[in-house]
Amino acid sequence: MAESTIEKKSGRKEKAPRSRLEKRNTLLGMLFISPWIIGFIAFTLYPMVMSLFYSFTEYHARRASEWVGLQNYIAMFHDDLYWTSLGNTLYMVVISVPVLLFFSFVCAVLLNLKIKGQSLYRVIYFLPSIVPTVASTLLWLWMLNPQTGMVNSALSVFGIDGPNWFQDPYWSKPALILLGLWGVGGTIIIYLSGLQDVPTALLEAAELDGANWFQRLRHITMPMVSPITLFNLITGVIAMFQYFSQAYVFGAAASTSENALGAPLSSTLFYSVYLYQRGISYLDIGVASAMAWVLFFIILGCTFLLLKVSDKFTYYAG
Amino acid sequence: MKRKFWLLVVSVLVITSMVLAGCGTTPAADESSDVLRVWIVWGDNPEQIQSLFDQYGAEHGVTVEVTAPVDLERILPGLTGSDGPDVLVLSGGDLVKSYAAEDLVLPLNSYVDSGLIDLADISEASVGQCMDGATILCLPWGADVYALFWNRDMFEAAGLDPNTPPATMEELAEFAQQLTIVNTDGSLEQVGFIPDFSWSHLDLYVRMFGGFWYNEDGTEVTIDSQPMLDALAWEQQFYNDYGADNVMAFTSVLGGYTSPDQGFYAGRVAMMVDGEWQVGPNFIQNYKPDLNYGVAAFPPSEAHPELAGTVVVQGTAVVIPANAPNPEAAADLLAWMLSPQIVADEMYANYNIPTSLTAAQDERFQSDPNFMVFIDLMNGANAMPIITTPISLELNDELGRIEEQVLHTGAEAQPLLTAAQEQYSQLLAEALAE
Repeated sequence: MAESTIEKKSGRKEKAPRSRLEKRNTLLGMLFISPWIIGFIAFTLYPMVMSLFYSFTEYHARRASEWVGLQNYIAMFHDDLYWTSLGNTLYMVVISVPVLLFFSFVCAVLLNLKIKGQSLYRVIYFLPSIVPTVASTLLWLWMLNPQTGMVNSALSVFGIDGPNWFQDPYWSKPALILLGLWGVGGTIIIYLSGLQDVPTALLEAAELDGANWFQRLRHITMPMVSPITLFNLITGVIAMFQYFSQAYVFGAAASTSENALGAPLSSTLFYSVYLYQRGISYLDIGVASAMAWVLFFIILGCTFLLLKVSDKFTYYAG
Repeated sequence: MKRKFWLLVVSVLVITSMVLAGCGTTPAADESSDVLRVWIVWGDNPEQIQSLFDQYGAEHGVTVEVTAPVDLERILPGLTGSDGPDVLVLSGGDLVKSYAAEDLVLPLNSYVDSGLIDLADISEASVGQCMDGATILCLPWGADVYALFWNRDMFEAAGLDPNTPPATMEELAEFAQQLTIVNTDGSLEQVGFIPDFSWSHLDLYVRMFGGFWYNEDGTEVTIDSQPMLDALAWEQQFYNDYGADNVMAFTSVLGGYTSPDQGFYAGRVAMMVDGEWQVGPNFIQNYKPDLNYGVAAFPPSEAHPELAGTVVVQGTAVVIPANAPNPEAAADLLAWMLSPQIVADEMYANYNIPTSLTAAQDERFQSDPNFMVFIDLMNGANAMPIITTPISLELNDELGRIEEQVLHTGAEAQPLLTAAQEQYSQLLAEALAE
């Protein structure tokens, strides 16, 4: 709510007394958003505060938790599997996010071409996004079957002997990236909205100046959609740090043990999967909470860093 | 106005507190025992299981609400909140001791001592996973044991006697060689035996070499013991013989566990270790009714003939949560679940081994010679309970990782086991000290 101010002779701004109407509006506004405030306090703020508290305690379900200081954080940093899970997650962030962004952008550019059946193509590309994660993962497990799956069959046409996608630790993460490419419909839609906002006048002017299609894409379209790229990059990085469902289903399917997640050979043991395992399976809520808070600050740091460096590659018209 | 603002803030906080209180841990004081809630972790056939519990409801004038399957992440809130189950049925005893360490389950001794539950009628080996010293933390509701299945037709085709399974683990390895067919390109057409087929059976193999990864009372980790090394070396030979990549490529094309293309059903794996449910109507009879197979106890190693007939007994474990609104009503329901007739009906429906000795005499089981192999094994002299501790799940996961490295990458077992011994000995000591 904008505050009215009066300019004093000294040039200093001071708050003017608020009218009864403004006060009433403030009160009404607060009342209207109170359901959200209550929900936020009860279901977001309170769990976060408790999680922070538990990260410094040895958690007990029915007894008072014992304060252990930084012990959970120390235990976490001395755990080899913690570093394995962080390494796997960073692999996905560094490799998967750029690949997914590039693929989404290329698809969006193609879907933005004025061709017959454009709407149909857009629907087709978006459809996989609405398939439940577990279903799509199971489908890809079938498609990636090394001997009977469609992917290796397609590769064999070119004389390529496809890998054992979900039993080979070197290929399990690329398999998950392939799976991710299938579900980029949401990112494509956001790119499409950005592409439609690229001023036609600029593109036409460049064309008159002799710029070819690729030059127009490189020097006009890409800078104009760079805020969209930044948005997709940040949300992609956040999502990839929290990568869980596909890895959970994939790891369980690849495992020969009844309980072990992260198969083959811990190559799909991602941060959130290991956090789940520690907290839910091993009832180690203290370490799981510590992991959650470290992840929170990693994501916060990455987001801050991306925003800081985004000036170099983001163009805001106007 | 300022007063109104603060009034609003206080109101929001009060309402928030009320919302949080509603999510709190105190069981409702007026909780009625007219409704009993049963949570079951597995849920193959929820309708059948609900109809079973409806019998109890009709007999006792209560409603029994069965929730199955229940995800693992739902259990802890259920055991600490106000809307949890009266009876919780877990797929195994792995989690029971970690729940007990957090005071989440009630000891059942008083119900046994009072005569409500007849412990003498329950197979001794199946109770082992529930015992913490003299404290009974859970009770078994059906058990699982594993035996050796062999394909008689494939034996005959390989020149082996179709009616004689291997007598020792060493002979099993020899048979497996004879039963394996390698294509000209080195890939596997047919395999005699895959030690971790479907899932790990390390518990059985290490028992056959005379040890386990805990000492007998579960107070020490013995993961780097000689039987563990022997068991892993025995398993590893199959991967070394065929080539780990070839075995993994072979298994990746086999059908799912519940499909006609499952390796053993499809005649591509000649021998497998699997459980009693296979001989029932839902598995081999359902997917490959004409399969010509035999089933027998898994053979011992040559060094330990005295261990013939050894099985590791595990299976469903039932607990009464410490926050059950009416523990007496829950115990009544548990006693009913463990009564011979109900055990017989339920185990026959799913083809699991009845843990009630009386139920095991039921004609429906006695008339099936294949199923009797399993019942006899469980009630035999070498039936051993699975040893559980508060770190069972964590240690099992580590064992899974070690076994995977040894079999699939050819890693040497000794250093992996030594490192795990150090780490998990300390973890178990800390868990038991609590």
